Formats: sequence, C-alpha cells, structure tokens
Amino acid sequence: MGKFLLLAFRNVFRNRRRTIMTLLMVGGGVTGLLLSGGFFAFMIDGLREHTIQEGLGHLQIFTAEHFRRDEVRVLDTGIDNWRQVAATIQTGPHVRGVAPRIEFYGMVSNGTKSSIFMGSAVDPAAESSLGFTPRLSSGSDLSPKPAGEVEALIGSGLAKSMNVKVGDGLTILAVTSDGALNGVDVQVAGIVKTGYDEMDARYLRVTLASAQRLLQSDRVTNLVVGLDSTANTDAAAAALTPRLQGLPQQMVLKKWIDLATYYLQVRNMFFGIFLFLGVIVFFMVLMASVNTLLMAMFERTREIGTMLAMGTPRFWIVTLFMLEATLTGCLGAIAGVLGGNLLGAIINASGLHMPPPPGLTVPIDFHVLHIPVLMVASSFIVIFSLALASIFPAIRASRLQIAEALAHV
Amino acid sequence: MNEIVNVEGVTRSFPLNHDRTRNLVSALNHASFRVQAGEFLAISGPSGSGKTTLLNLIGCIDQPTSGRVLIDGVDTSKLSAAALTKLRRKKIGFVFQTFNLIPVFTAAENVEFPLLIQGVASRERRVRVTQALTEVGLGARANHRPDLLSGGERQRVAVARAIVHRPALVLADEPTANLDTHNATQLIDLMHGLNRRLGLTFLFSTHDARLLEHTERIIHLCDGTIQSDSHSDTLSATSFAATNSQGGSHGQVLAASLS
Repeated sequence: MGKFLLLAFRNVFRNRRRTIMTLLMVGGGVTGLLLSGGFFAFMIDGLREHTIQEGLGHLQIFTAEHFRRDEVRVLDTGIDNWRQVAATIQTGPHVRGVAPRIEFYGMVSNGTKSSIFMGSAVDPAAESSLGFTPRLSSGSDLSPKPAGEVEALIGSGLAKSMNVKVGDGLTILAVTSDGALNGVDVQVAGIVKTGYDEMDARYLRVTLASAQRLLQSDRVTNLVVGLDSTANTDAAAAALTPRLQGLPQQMVLKKWIDLATYYLQVRNMFFGIFLFLGVIVFFMVLMASVNTLLMAMFERTREIGTMLAMGTPRFWIVTLFMLEATLTGCLGAIAGVLGGNLLGAIINASGLHMPPPPGLTVPIDFHVLHIPVLMVASSFIVIFSLALASIFPAIRASRLQIAEALAHV
Repeated sequence: MNEIVNVEGVTRSFPLNHDRTRNLVSALNHASFRVQAGEFLAISGPSGSGKTTLLNLIGCIDQPTSGRVLIDGVDTSKLSAAALTKLRRKKIGFVFQTFNLIPVFTAAENVEFPLLIQGVASRERRVRVTQALTEVGLGARANHRPDLLSGGERQRVAVARAIVHRPALVLADEPTANLDTHNATQLIDLMHGLNRRLGLTFLFSTHDARLLEHTERIIHLCDGTIQSDSHSDTLSATSFAATNSQGGSHGQVLAASLS
C-alpha cells in the first residue's frame, strides 16, 4: 500500500504546472471560505458581545406574570421586592453584578414640541459596574449621585427632533401605575448613539429613582445579570434557577440568547450566506477538477493500459485516481489554510473598516477570526469535492479497453 | 514438453467506422499453432499483418471473434474478466514497443510493480527485483527513473519487469522497434539468454528480419494469415544454403525466404 500511495503522490506532481493551478484553485476556495467565515464569525461574535454589553446582559430575571400577560398598567407585572431578589442572585457563581431596569414609554416635551419616547430607567452605578456604558456622542453618562435623578440621556435622533443639546431641559410625561398622568423635569446630560437609527429617534434613559418617581412605583421591570464570561451563561443559569424558587413572587430566568431575537436573525442570515458560499466553492472545485482529472486520464491512457495488461485489478486504478485527487485536495487544503490564516493576519493588522450595514450607524472593523472548526470544515469541503470529482475519471480509466489503451498515441 | 499456448482457428475482425454489424475488416484469419514451454518464438511479418492482434489475443487483452486461445491448458474464452486479469498477472509478462514504463517510478520500482499487484511481501520483492535487474545487467541503474535511462536500458528494465514474477509466458510486441541495431541485437540476445537460463517461454513479434537469425522458430504472418511456421532445423538448412550460395547474412536470407 505504501508503494501505491507513493505512486499516487508522485503522480500528483507529474504535471507541475497543472498541479499548481489545481492547488491554487483548491487553496483559493479554502482561503475564501476561511476569510468570509472568519469575518462572519467576527461579526457574529461582535454582535453577540455588543448585544450583551449594550444592556441585554447575560441573564435577565422577570416575574413569571410578565410572560403570561400584557401589562394593563405600567409595572403591573414588575418585580416587587427586587432588592431581595438582586441580593439572592448577586452571590451566585460567575455573577459580576445585578442591575435593575424599568422599561417604560411616554411623551417628552421641550415646551414647544412633543415626541414619543421609549424609556429605560437604570441604576447608573450598577450599570457602570457591569460595563454597560452608553455610547455617548456628546455630554456625559448619568451621575450615580442623587444629582443624577434630574438627568436624562437621549438618542441622537430624538435630540435632533426636539432641537435640544447637552444642558437643555425637557419634561417627560408618563402614565403612573395608578393610571394618572405624571411628569418630571430633567436636564439633558448626554446624547447617545445606540447604533440603530430607529432606536436613536425614540431613546430616553433616566435614573431608576427618576422613573420610580414618575411612575409612582417601587417596582422594576426586570433585573439584568452580568457574568464574568458569556461562555459561563449556561452554568450560571443552572446555578441561579434554584435560588429563585423560594421567593414570594414566581420568577423566570432568561438567557441572553432567548432575548436576542435580532442577534439570532443575523446569525442565521450569515450562516445561510456561508452555506451558499460553501456550495459555490464545492461545485467550483468539483467541475474544474473533473476536467483536470479527465485530462490526466487521457494523458496516461497507455500507462493505464499497461498496468491493466500486467494484471492490475481495475479497482486499483479507481483507487489510484481517487487517492491522487484526495492527496491533491489535502495539499490544496493545507495551502488554503496557510493562505487564509496569513491573509487573515494581514487584514487584521491593517486595521481596515467596513461601511456600516443597513440600520447601523457605526462602521464595522474588518477583522477575521482564525477558527479551527472552520479550517477543518473548509478543508473537508474541498477534499470531498475532489474525491467526488475523481470518481467519474477513475471509473472511466478503469474501464479502458486494454488493447485500445495500449495503442493510444 | 508442456504446452503453454494453443491457438485454435482464431479469427479477429474489427468493425469499420464503428459500424458493429456490417463492413468488418479481418485482422487475423483462422490462425492455429501451439507453443511449448521453453520455446523462443518470433512472429514476423510486415506492418498490418496481424502480429499485434495475435499477441493481444494470446495475452488475453483482447477476445477472438471466433476460435479459442488456451493458455497453459485453460480456455481463455470461458474465463471472466477478473479471471483473465488474474491469469495475466500470474502467467504472462509483457514487453512493449514503447517500453511503457511508469515514468514516476525508478527502474527498481517499475520491476517491483508486478510483484506488488501479486501481493508479494516487501522483503521478497526487494530480493527478486535485485535479481531481475542483475539478470538484465542493470543492477547499478536500479534507482534511476526511466527518463535518465537510454532506450536500450529502458527496454531491459521492461524485460526485467516482464520476468520478475517468473511467468509461464513472456510476450514482447515489437520490442526492438524503437532501438538501434546494436541495442536491438543485444535485447534479443538478452531475451534468448533468459529463455535458455531460466527456461522462460518467449514469444515476440518483429518485422526486422535481421533479428530472426537468433530465433529458433518463426511464424510468418501476412494479411492476417499464417504463411509459414518454421523451426530452426528448416531455417538453418535454408540459411546455410543461402549463405553459401549468395554470401548474404542469415537474416537477409530469412527475409528473402519469408517475403
């Protein structure tokens, strides 16, 4: 078998120019898959961490009622004794911190113009400890001190619409938990960019104390839990779930993946694109290789005839051709993995940026992740397509009429 | 003596212009002869006389249209493709006009190939390859690839490859056609020597009359028909008479008598 493998290996390099062209094609396919897959993975990973760090957190705790029905009044399904729940969670494994949140909505007015807002009330100190910092285009974050109770951060679109800048005053109006209309005056501390145009046009952020005063309630909508690492999400969720069992209100713990609808949609889209690219590379290698291997077969017709005349079993000829194609695939895959990683490293070092995709306002780093699973999968695609491509020429070679093959010129 | 080849009324026709029902052209007509073990036999005749067709049929790489070929007593027309492959592998060695060595293999690896496909153990393969290359005088060129060997050396490697597994029959189709006279004579002498030393049966085709004087038996073909089947006694008598009367060489006289 060793000699047979040696014959296959030497045959691969018999026509060097053609082999180099094949290796370039196969390697190019692998490189393309590694670069596109590495970039997609970087985007997906970035989106995941961005989604988590923008405030989603790794885990969120709600009352069970929150998912059973829509709120009739604001904070109707909120958490009553949230400080007790937060204290219970805070000591859990991998937990870095717990931040209470209130999600609400209402009207914002500058005295002459009013607009709808989607509000988020936070504890600035807790948010800061978890690294949940808003992306400010001007001004500063909400103050964790009592002075922060009269401050607000607003989206850049809303600021433009309301014609306000940092330091200007606004009145926010909302329906309280009792159903009455209430309002508080706040000062614009900063203007933020969430990264999404639609969100920037409606976003308003105040301190928890301001929102509770506005909504006349001590409840919070949910508790956001930050972990030491995204990889520990499952372990932390498993450890924290039992702790929520003995509380007065029935609680539900959600992982970030359950709440990140947009992330899942984007991930599925990228997976679909990558699959499509994989199919293209597969067929590209398959078609080009069939042609190359058929040429090799025609060139070696007399040699194959000689081998068959000497009594070489026909399946040996099939095996030989498939072995040669597989070896070519392996060499191409190695070349592609090396090329892909080298090009990836060059791209990463170059600090290139991609223009913002639709819906986003910030450019994306052009960065390629080096992913071992992707290297194995891309290599497998090209090796398999070459092995598949060799079947037809191999069978054709093995079925040659010996006398005709020996007379081949 | 053991009968190695028995050709019985063999005809081989080929369709013209890929028409498989009509317009057949006959390459060999009702050929019959027998070859005993240890014979050194030449098939002579001009180009297109059917020499290669006959060798292909004896070598089991083609099937007769009618008649039958028996190799070592086995009727090859009754064998399956796999059985024919096995028969070729075990009992027949081939030498081709254009050497047909595997270019990416060294001389030794080329000679080793028949043993490889027979599943001979590597240690034994090495011994037999060295022995075969030594027998053809190429022990020192074992590790050279065919492109580094001369035409004569390449054909000697091909002979070593054909005899390394000690086949019952060695078929050589125009083995000297691509060689100069010196190398051609040397090759025939080599094959003849192997025939005598090892008792191998050699059957080769040639249209070079000069080589026939080394041959004990000559079957002359013309237009697909066996014109004569002459043994050395007849040839010797004819050649001596001719040499004495005309002063020509043995080969020239043979050519004259066979043409």
